[in-house]
Amino acid sequence: MDLIKKTNIDFVTNRNFFLRLSILASVIGMLVVLAPEIPGLGIPRLIEPGIDFTGGTQTTVSFANTATSAEQVRGALAKAGYSSAEIKSFGKDGDFLIRINDVQDEASKVSADLVTKLNTAFSKNGEKAVILLGADNVGAKVSAELAADAAISLIIATIIILLYVAFRFEFVYGLSAVIALAHDVTVAFVISVLVNKLGILNLELSINSLAAYLTILGYSINDKVVVFDRIRENRERHRGMPLAELVNLSLNETLSRTLITGVSVLGALLVMVFLGGDVLEGFAFTMFVGIVVGTYSSIYVASSFLIWYTERVKHKSVGSVVHTEA
Amino acid sequence: MSSKNLGKWLLIVLPLAAAGLLLWPTINYSLLSSERAELEADTSRTGREALVRWDVDNKEAYESARAGRMKLGLDLRGGAYLTLEVDVLKLIESSADAESIDDDFRAIIEETRKATANSDVDVLTVFLEKFRARGKQLINYFPAAELTEQAVEEKLRRDASGSVDQAMEVLSQRINKYGVSEVSIQKQGSRRLVIELPDEKDTVQMRELLQQTARLEFKRVLMDRSLVRAFYAIDGAYKAYKSGVAPVVDTAKPATDTATTAAADTTKKADTAKTAAADTGKNAKDPYKGLSDDEKGRRIKADFPFSYMLFGSVAANEQSQPQQFDLVGLKINGVTPDQLPEKGLYQFRIPAQSLQEFLKILAIPQVRAAIPAELDVLVSANGNATKPGVQPDYYDVYGVAREADLMGDVIEDAYPSFDNSNQPVVMMNMNTEGSDQWARITGANIGNRIAVVMDDRVWSAPTVQGKIPNGSSQISGSFRTEDAMRLAVVLKAGALKAPVQIIEERVVGPSLGEDSIRRGLTSTGISFALIILFMMAYYAVGGAIADVALLMNILLTVAGLAAFGGTLTLPGIAGLILSTAMAVDANILIFERMREEIYAGKSLKTAVDQGFARAWSAILDSNLTNIAGAVPLIIWGSGPIKGFAITLLVGAIITLFTAVVVTRAIFQLLIASGATTLNIGQKRTA
Repeated sequence: MDLIKKTNIDFVTNRNFFLRLSILASVIGMLVVLAPEIPGLGIPRLIEPGIDFTGGTQTTVSFANTATSAEQVRGALAKAGYSSAEIKSFGKDGDFLIRINDVQDEASKVSADLVTKLNTAFSKNGEKAVILLGADNVGAKVSAELAADAAISLIIATIIILLYVAFRFEFVYGLSAVIALAHDVTVAFVISVLVNKLGILNLELSINSLAAYLTILGYSINDKVVVFDRIRENRERHRGMPLAELVNLSLNETLSRTLITGVSVLGALLVMVFLGGDVLEGFAFTMFVGIVVGTYSSIYVASSFLIWYTERVKHKSVGSVVHTEA
Repeated sequence: MSSKNLGKWLLIVLPLAAAGLLLWPTINYSLLSSERAELEADTSRTGREALVRWDVDNKEAYESARAGRMKLGLDLRGGAYLTLEVDVLKLIESSADAESIDDDFRAIIEETRKATANSDVDVLTVFLEKFRARGKQLINYFPAAELTEQAVEEKLRRDASGSVDQAMEVLSQRINKYGVSEVSIQKQGSRRLVIELPDEKDTVQMRELLQQTARLEFKRVLMDRSLVRAFYAIDGAYKAYKSGVAPVVDTAKPATDTATTAAADTTKKADTAKTAAADTGKNAKDPYKGLSDDEKGRRIKADFPFSYMLFGSVAANEQSQPQQFDLVGLKINGVTPDQLPEKGLYQFRIPAQSLQEFLKILAIPQVRAAIPAELDVLVSANGNATKPGVQPDYYDVYGVAREADLMGDVIEDAYPSFDNSNQPVVMMNMNTEGSDQWARITGANIGNRIAVVMDDRVWSAPTVQGKIPNGSSQISGSFRTEDAMRLAVVLKAGALKAPVQIIEERVVGPSLGEDSIRRGLTSTGISFALIILFMMAYYAVGGAIADVALLMNILLTVAGLAAFGGTLTLPGIAGLILSTAMAVDANILIFERMREEIYAGKSLKTAVDQGFARAWSAILDSNLTNIAGAVPLIIWGSGPIKGFAITLLVGAIITLFTAVVVTRAIFQLLIASGATTLNIGQKRTA
């Protein structure tokens, strides 16, 4: 089978438009997602960091009666003295996630107590009405450490990636790759937050979901390196060809590989989104989004930035003010 | 086959063999577990005998498979995970002299608490810095044997680092005592403990265990022939308890014992009781004579449910050879406890596999009532090995006074040391009040043994050599250095009350665990199958070759993780997905290049060589970039991030091998066997 013929698509002419659009979209997206709640306008806060980063206790329960509503649960909990509990439905009908952020000490007792109280409130003829699916209790110290660890390790990993790519190619390649990576993670993050807010999937930001973002980073850098490698090779082969043309040629030559790899990985992830169950589906969804974005950014962010930056620096060093069309 | 091709075959076969070898414990463990689970489910019908026998027969194989297996993370199998932290600051506070604590001291404590609240820095170091910054001297606040700054600091440091070990010993013992199976306790950093429990229900119990403070006591050892009588009494009480009859307390006439218990049994086991009675009539000496071995074993277990587990020995003194005996044997031969030597060193042992049953019987209140009021039957905290070099296979059984002579809170310090002949010993100091009592107790018990008991388990039972006037004692014995360290840790459990807090807890209920594992595995399986089929459809024979390499990649990555003792978690699966995607990508890169070469009219051999050569730099660079990115995540990342990065690192290294070296070897083998064209899904060229 050979579906993708030799192509000659023009990827570079509108590069600055796509580059601006992408950067603008990620910045605005990030601002919207991080914006605080505006109670006057009824605009809620979109981002919901999980207790891994805020500390607190989170209990997931499953009601035998799948018709149980979040309101009923809230009522029962308020009566049991947990009026500050946030209740969110997730997964199957009758499954709820109960979160309490302001638990001081003995957080670990809360989950067991919640289940007991809910069982008393909903049980008819002594049958078990509620089962505990899971509980997480994270102390403030641990959550601060998890956040710090995650941030530090991510920053160092990014710097090392930048340095490695700069060493193997040129500095501008490393810079382009890292900018594109930041874009990919941002867009995937914004989309995940929105999907989570809509309640379609449980995509709360947790220490586990970080692994999904790391996977996006890994896949995306792989994609960029493949394109850069082709540019490096073509530069030797077609000496004197303008950079924009060189990039376009390389993008076309690697397009078949880009699409085949992308399709096979996305297909695999799609299976996990639909069949993976509570635990894998969110994970796979974030990766899916990230890989689509990562593939796009190899073409329109990393390559566009590479050309823009190289030309700007070159112009400066030559002292030219003439704008050349690529 | 030329030697060159042999090398290529080996390149393919050897890694597979290695992977098989590394994964064998994992496979074997799941086989053995399901075998055991079947037996366990059967116990209602066949009794526990088959299970116990299975455990004995397969113990070693099971343990070694368990140790070498690939572990599944909490998120994939359910269970609970707790992180505990020792509050070192509280420890410092409580070791200070209560009267000397002033506002300055409190302020320093408060400052240190703020400075260390959100990080894992060494609390004591921060405290000492702040303390010295104010120009304070430790000796003004902390009691110490030797009044120098150095000595006080050393003691504080020892206490702080010891407190984690102490919490670990106390918890391990409690966990073992309650038979919570498969619990792992590990130290993390300088003051944390991570506990993993396979069953979420255990967390409630675990919390209770954590909240108790250790109860350390000194009790006189009462080991003489009356203990044998107590064991028979326990038999009687347990049988009565099981048959639901009020306990028949064993009287001073043991000869009637068999008859009495047989009578007690009649309610439920009328038949056996009758035959037992008949047997006793036939042969007063051996009621089991003439029975088959199986039947005899069963009957002995029914008649001596407690004492059949015990092995005893008695020696006239420490120098003489001990005489072995078993309690059932004594009964059969008509030896009463009164006929045993009055003076002598008695020892009792119980095989490790009987320990749970033994403790279960002793925990029954009706059984406890049958033990003489002044006596308690306890077991050693740690198992001993019959031969050096084998796993601990038995526990010592002790008779001790029920009343404690002294509580462990009088201990001020305990630490391992060496005596004049360089043997490991434990040094122990007591406070003034404790020292006075200790002098009285040791004075009255010269030549007798005193047991160190924590939470009802005996840690040591040294013989008192002489009166100890000042509370400063040396415990020596035939222990190794690590035994001395453990004993010191336990002794200090009485002295220090370093509070332990649960700072993180994660519970995955069995229903979620089971469901997620099933759906996760199914969907992952389908995903991989999809990729494999797609590769075959798109790249034909080339795809099939890539698939072989891909399967090898997954197998080797998982085997590599198992070999490193890694745990497969959800983030680990993410790492696996990424490294698989990169492996697929590597082959796609190679095949696309090969097609280009074939379209350019090159021969198969040239196309293969060029395909690999040209794709190599992209494959190497992309995998190395990921490896470079994974290293900092392993070093600085916490749990899940680390899990992801380790799988990615192992996977990326293996990708470089399987996707390039192995696929190339297969191509070259095909060419060597005479292939001049190969379908890698290219368009038919005329």
